[in-house]
Amino acid sequence: MTNTNRWRGRALAGVAVAAGAALALAGCTTTPAPSESEGGDATTGGTISIAQTNAATALNSGTPDTNLNTNGMVDYLMGAGTGPGSFMYVDNEFNIVPDETNGTMELISDDPLTVQYTLNPDAVWSDGTEMTTTDLLLSWAIGSGYYDDATFDPATGEVTEGNVYFQLAGSTAGLDTTAFPEIDEEAGTLTLTYGEPYVDWNLVNLINKPAHVFAEAAGFGSVEELATFLEETPEGNPESPAEPNEQLTSLAELWNTGYNITAMPEDEGLLVGAGMWIPKDFQADDGGFISFGLNPEWRGEMTPSFDELIIRFIGDPNAQISALQNGEVDVIEPQPSADTVAAIDGFGGTLIEGAQLSYDHLDLTFNSEVFSDPAVREAFLLTIPRQQILEAIVTPVQEDAEVLNSQQFVSNQPQYADAVAANGYSDFAEPDIERATELLAGATPTVRILYNTENPNRVDAFQLIQASAQQAGFVVEDAGSPDWSSLLGSGDYDASIFGWISPGVGYASLPQIWQTNGGGNYNGYSNAEVDALADESQVTIDDEERLTEIQIEIDRLSREDFYGLPLFQTPGLVATNGTVEGVVYNGGQTGAIWNTWEWTLAGE
Amino acid sequence: MLSFVVRRIIASILTLVVASFIMYVLTANSGNPLQDLLASNAPNAQQLIGQRTERLSLDVPPPLRWFQWAAGAAGCLVPFASCDLGVNLNFTPVTALLPGAVASTVRLVAASTILAILLGVITGIVSALRQYSAFDLGMTFFSFFLYSLPSFLAAVLLKEFIAIDFNNWLSGADSSFGLVPTIVITLVVAFFLQAIVAGSMKNRLITFGVSAAATLGVLLYMDATNWFQSPGLGPVGLLILIAGVAFVAVVLVTGLGNRRALLAAGITGAIAYAAYFALQGLFDISTIWTIAILGLATAVVSFAVGWVLGGNDRSQVIRVAMITGIVSGLLVVADRYLQAWSTYIASPRINNRPIATVGEQTVGLTGDMWVMGLDTFTHFLLPTIALTLISFAGYTRYARAGLLEVLNQDYIRTARAKGLSERTVVMRHAFRNMLIPITTIVAADIGALLGGAIITERVFAISGMGSLFAVSLDRVDLNPIMGYFLVIAVTAILFNFIADLSYALLDPRVRVK
Repeated sequence: MTNTNRWRGRALAGVAVAAGAALALAGCTTTPAPSESEGGDATTGGTISIAQTNAATALNSGTPDTNLNTNGMVDYLMGAGTGPGSFMYVDNEFNIVPDETNGTMELISDDPLTVQYTLNPDAVWSDGTEMTTTDLLLSWAIGSGYYDDATFDPATGEVTEGNVYFQLAGSTAGLDTTAFPEIDEEAGTLTLTYGEPYVDWNLVNLINKPAHVFAEAAGFGSVEELATFLEETPEGNPESPAEPNEQLTSLAELWNTGYNITAMPEDEGLLVGAGMWIPKDFQADDGGFISFGLNPEWRGEMTPSFDELIIRFIGDPNAQISALQNGEVDVIEPQPSADTVAAIDGFGGTLIEGAQLSYDHLDLTFNSEVFSDPAVREAFLLTIPRQQILEAIVTPVQEDAEVLNSQQFVSNQPQYADAVAANGYSDFAEPDIERATELLAGATPTVRILYNTENPNRVDAFQLIQASAQQAGFVVEDAGSPDWSSLLGSGDYDASIFGWISPGVGYASLPQIWQTNGGGNYNGYSNAEVDALADESQVTIDDEERLTEIQIEIDRLSREDFYGLPLFQTPGLVATNGTVEGVVYNGGQTGAIWNTWEWTLAGE
Repeated sequence: MLSFVVRRIIASILTLVVASFIMYVLTANSGNPLQDLLASNAPNAQQLIGQRTERLSLDVPPPLRWFQWAAGAAGCLVPFASCDLGVNLNFTPVTALLPGAVASTVRLVAASTILAILLGVITGIVSALRQYSAFDLGMTFFSFFLYSLPSFLAAVLLKEFIAIDFNNWLSGADSSFGLVPTIVITLVVAFFLQAIVAGSMKNRLITFGVSAAATLGVLLYMDATNWFQSPGLGPVGLLILIAGVAFVAVVLVTGLGNRRALLAAGITGAIAYAAYFALQGLFDISTIWTIAILGLATAVVSFAVGWVLGGNDRSQVIRVAMITGIVSGLLVVADRYLQAWSTYIASPRINNRPIATVGEQTVGLTGDMWVMGLDTFTHFLLPTIALTLISFAGYTRYARAGLLEVLNQDYIRTARAKGLSERTVVMRHAFRNMLIPITTIVAADIGALLGGAIITERVFAISGMGSLFAVSLDRVDLNPIMGYFLVIAVTAILFNFIADLSYALLDPRVRVK
């Protein structure tokens, strides 16, 4: 054998050994073949997917950082502070519907306002843990700011001294006047006594996040220990702020940031809920999803007919439509536009149209020179081409849209019709240039209008108003700015076009906008009668009729004062590809998923 | 050399500092990060404004705030220091946002970049070799057409035809090709191939006839076997393909005259073919690491075969063997993926509609690595095509111009004059020199890759760097924008640096000083 040949022999042997070793190594990295290779875990009841524009970022929408609509849907499905499984949910007509699966709430007395929450004996969390009054107590502790002792700088809103433990998206208004609740563990009741009447008492929902999960996260031995701790910790006093309380801080940490998710959480405790749906899997950001399975402990009257719900995050409306057409999602809720509607129609999707809670309106600044005269205000309002604005902006998207005729109600609410009949806003349906010219009597007042120049709808509205008002002799100046929001209330303009989001339910925000010097009263509106009505509304307990009367009355008064004009409600849209039945439009924050228990897969 | 590197590093750091300052101040002045709260009618809006102002130090003027940011960011570039890029408006640390976005972007753009380079360079070479032919002009037209196609339009067309229509066809009652499409595809392929081959009319006609017959045969076979429902290369198809690979590798690298190369290619091909039968059992229980190890083993075995049989042209024969081995190995793996296809599309979550239009995965789908791999494939197929179509044009132009320039050099004339075969002239003398400028372009492009593809990401709902930037800019969310800036600026500077160095390494005429 020659040298070269021996070399080759060795090399070949080496290769053979290497290949064998590689194979053996490869063998170690294998995984057993799945017994069932069909792919996908079996879902017996079926899956429904809905697309949403915004991605979920947390399993809790109650903090300022997580207060996004998709997070709110997660809360609703899990029954955390809203939705079936908690004490109540809000339906598509903005009625408060009690849900008695886990408990009931009852008004005991008007004066002092006393509300009793009673848990059902068999109330249970999705992990099988029994619900206790401590769960209610914890929700109260979070929502009331009872332990906070912070002082805020009124100008900037920054904390100057003391502690804020639980960060809240909403405010502590209402619950902040309650004393420490009375608890009867045996009977499963918690009774709240308010220091002052609170009109939205029936929206205070004390089933939210499970106390046993908080107890564990903050290092308490048991739920009872947590209850004792909450009882023994004194109320915070802003006048003599204490050192930060360590245990409260760790409880607050779970509430403030613990529920924020960027991937499916490994801590099963975060997934515990009271509602019919429980998160199953999650992928963050655009293109991601959150999927839900049925709560194994769910005993509610309303039970979905399918057993997996997927919310898919798709930011681009056109991408939502093609995903709907391709069957990747079954229901979509895109921002509507004329193109969107045409595209869905084009492939035979089912359109379910409605109006959203947000509406555009024109406000006149009462403390400006030109509009201090009511005749000029009336003349200006008479020139506003509301129908034309509607036809330019909304009609292409929603053919049967109508001008909004109330500052208090949106058209989705049952009270809207009564309000329109009484308030007189419909007088301004079409511009009346003649009458406006008469009122002006030859004067040519200059009106500076503030609006968002980056919102094409507002630009359209401004241009139409400008053209129409000029016919009556007004000189309309463009005070629009992309930075409009920081200019609100600055007094550098005579009128403003912008949008409010109607709360739909609740009355706590009434004084904000309508009362003299209210936080959202940017146009210097002041009417003693309205002030009195707004005050009355806040102390009217359990009398929906009177509240409606008050709102209609404020509506009428604002019309008489020529406050401004509501223009139109933003159109909304839900579409399906025919695979799901029972989807009902809902203009509220919860959107289409509000009635998943009524959804059925077509053909089953 | 060392002083060059040091100088470049110092200059890069200075560039980065100045650019980040400009970026910071410009972005901070682009809008108001409190906008949403100022227009809010929430009762505690003022408190929320205070909280956000405090967290993001919005009361500090932007030029001064930049120093705070720079102090935290400096930690990210120094090993073992704590890295603080600040938080976004929702109080999520930027350091938690970036890795996911970078990963998504890499998944999105990696395949399309490789494809665009490969296809672009090959098309460019063929165009240059057939300068001013119908193929050259046609490709010039075609590539510029794609170049000017807006990506959102390309995306919509792809979704409409490749996703929705293909899925409809696949899940419909009659999923055969039909007579007219079969004839059209056959004629187009045949016409295309004869244009590449060019030459005399007789040559063209022969090419046309042969390729038409082959395409027709393949189409009829696919139709008859319902190929799109249960695809696969099969033992026969694989044999033909592996033989083809071996043949092409030998032709391109050494020419058919080299018996040793032919033998090496044949043996590696045969081993790969044998492995196809031997490994099916292992494949069924494979993970991605198994495949990686098998890939490594393939490379080692091919290298060894080439080394043993190499003789005097060892390096060339090794190259032939490795190309044959690795490409054949990929074919074997591809065949296994195709085998999983029918399982994949039959899954109730796919329901015979495999090509996806949004996202990165099918929600809730579980299966072995083959099924999950196919799921990734069907989700990234459309965005990858969309991105490839756009960047493909640039590479064809560079490659075509580069090769034409090289072919006009004196040393090419010399090579031809001394009687070298056309293959040797093109592949060994011209091709390699043409690659030098392309290398630097590729390096610079990879540096720009991490910037993401804003429109493509949005249209296909993939949350990469582009969408991070767009969403943050919309909300005047300064810290994520600066995080984005830092990542792309560092990679761009780094890869430009690499491009300069590689130029010096590849081209002996260039020296770095």
